[in-house]
Amino acid sequence: NHGARWAGIVKLEWSVSRLTRERKLTNRESGSAANVKGKGNCQNSKENRDFSQIQILPAGCSHVNGYKVDNWKQNLRVIYQCFVWSGTAETRRRKAKSCICHTCGAHLNRLHSCLYCVFFGCFTKKHIHEHAKNKRHNLAIDLLYGGIYCFVCQDYIYDKDMEQIAKEEQRKSWKLQGTAFCFLSENLMPFQKCLFTAVTFVYFVPPGIGEKYTTWEPTKRELELLRHNPKRRKITTNCTIGLRGLINLGNTCFMNCIVQALTHTPLLRDFFLSDRHKCEMQSNSCLVCEMSQLFQEFYSGHRSPHIPFRLLHLVWTHARHLAGYEQQDAHEFLIAALDVLHRHYDNGKKANNPNHCNCIIDQIFTGGLQSDVTCQVCHGVSTTIDPFWDISLDLPGSSTPFWPLSPGGDGSTVNGESHLSGSTTLTDCLRRFTRPEHLGSSAKIKCGGCHSYQESTKQLTMKKLPIVACFHLKRFEHSAKLRRKITTYVSFPLELDMTPFMASSKESRMNGQYQQTVDVLNNDNKYSLFAVVNHQGTLESGHYTSFIRQHKDQWFKCDDAIITKASIKDVLDSEGYLLFYHKQFLEYE
Amino acid sequence: MSKESQMRAAINQKLIEMGERERLKELLRAKLVECGWKDQLKAHCKDVIREKGLEHVTVEDLVTEVTPKGRALVPDSVKKELLQRIRAFLAQHATL
Repeated sequence: NHGARWAGIVKLEWSVSRLTRERKLTNRESGSAANVKGKGNCQNSKENRDFSQIQILPAGCSHVNGYKVDNWKQNLRVIYQCFVWSGTAETRRRKAKSCICHTCGAHLNRLHSCLYCVFFGCFTKKHIHEHAKNKRHNLAIDLLYGGIYCFVCQDYIYDKDMEQIAKEEQRKSWKLQGTAFCFLSENLMPFQKCLFTAVTFVYFVPPGIGEKYTTWEPTKRELELLRHNPKRRKITTNCTIGLRGLINLGNTCFMNCIVQALTHTPLLRDFFLSDRHKCEMQSNSCLVCEMSQLFQEFYSGHRSPHIPFRLLHLVWTHARHLAGYEQQDAHEFLIAALDVLHRHYDNGKKANNPNHCNCIIDQIFTGGLQSDVTCQVCHGVSTTIDPFWDISLDLPGSSTPFWPLSPGGDGSTVNGESHLSGSTTLTDCLRRFTRPEHLGSSAKIKCGGCHSYQESTKQLTMKKLPIVACFHLKRFEHSAKLRRKITTYVSFPLELDMTPFMASSKESRMNGQYQQTVDVLNNDNKYSLFAVVNHQGTLESGHYTSFIRQHKDQWFKCDDAIITKASIKDVLDSEGYLLFYHKQFLEYE
Repeated sequence: MSKESQMRAAINQKLIEMGERERLKELLRAKLVECGWKDQLKAHCKDVIREKGLEHVTVEDLVTEVTPKGRALVPDSVKKELLQRIRAFLAQHATL
């Protein structure tokens, strides 16, 4: 009894309503049996042909009407969600396990699912045909492509409502996994199709967040632009497009190094180059528009350095604490820039829902940090989750003690780093960041459990990982006693796995699962390095440069107006002040 | 089930579960468009339909008719790339 067997797999409501439908149908079927026998559609199409002069639209298959009862739309949606498009990890796992032919057990052979009951059968060996004939269930859905087949018409059918549902569900599922594809097509295939023109250029990219990759069809206006600008530029692995120096306008290297990192953030680049920003600001002082312009400049193919005076002016206008020709902190600039971009994105409309912003900055850079404060007396835990754009990490050599580590920090190798000659790794810093910290007797907190002021411990973990993780190594110490730069070498990897620092990992440790199951299959929390900002000099005066990644694995050093090729070793041996990693695989809602 | 078909089933499951199958499908689609395979096959389908008459062709007929030619027309480079991708995926998930 497959119905019972699969009932637990799919949503209960679905199975129930499907089964009741099946019962209703058997009652009704005696009347329409003639329709099932023989080729019902011959009659039908003849009728259609007679009216062909009047009817312009071809009539679809009439056998779907039997299916369109009760909440058939919802049922069809569930099938698309669970077994056809499978946008989430859970539905995919389910699909992987359950999608086999119920007759012969094969997983190939164009598997179809009956639309009337829970039955999967292969098309090639006609097991789904047998089922359709025996049960008189005349509609089935192709589990690979989502087409719907009518066994009476003996053909795939194109029903407007069903097509609509299929399209909507496909879009939703691509929204769930969409961006993964931009990163995974590492060969940058779509980029090779870029069309560049002298003045305006059309950029062909896999759309950033949440849309299916579709073939680009130029609009009338775009065709005209292409005709007027006949110059085309192709992206090849050794072309320099996307690389551009930035003139230093007077101690503005703090800005230049961040601009280099931002313009090489894959998702941000895709967003701006596919012309996604629709400005809603009245004045022409929108920083998002300026970024958009900046991306055009970077990817225009011009080789002379760009002069970012407009950007600097906008920064001075919108982040007054950075105005003037003094030296500034690159990290401070990054946060200010993200903040202004976030505010300008939809001109303050997000005020309606301050907790959930959907701007491109928040979609890419915002993560959630969980803070658990545990009362030492009653062991009650109070948990808060705060959004973050960057993670500031303490370094050994600062006046706050770096170690002792939390229990469990036994120096096991995480992220493939070994402790060569006792140097500190990024993982060490992250482990310290997420260790339980005793707040001490001077910082008693009122416990919500036992309603008294008690000593407590606090632990930070990652609740939600951002798509781009910015790590800020706290190299500038401003304590009461001293102000200095910490030059301790911290090694950082090209690929970083954030799993050990997740709130979920901590929970599983708490539940007694001490062996951290290093799930090699789990790629959800893996990151790749794509930009590094460095500071040379002292606390008082110095210079910022950055390394950026281009074409998957080529690295370049950006020193204001000068860009030079760099090796991976140059990057990994550098001191590191800001480290930018992006997720390798994306799956989110 | 033979050992080989068990292996096939296990690999297929993993590919679906990790979403890799969809990615491969998308990659293949793009590659086939890029190399002109899609246009060639489209033209062939049109020929078949013209020859038999629109009223007498179902998707099934078309599939049977064009499959051998379609298979033969896939460039070796595309097959190789897909194979490499699957290999790399399996190497990465070697616990199967």
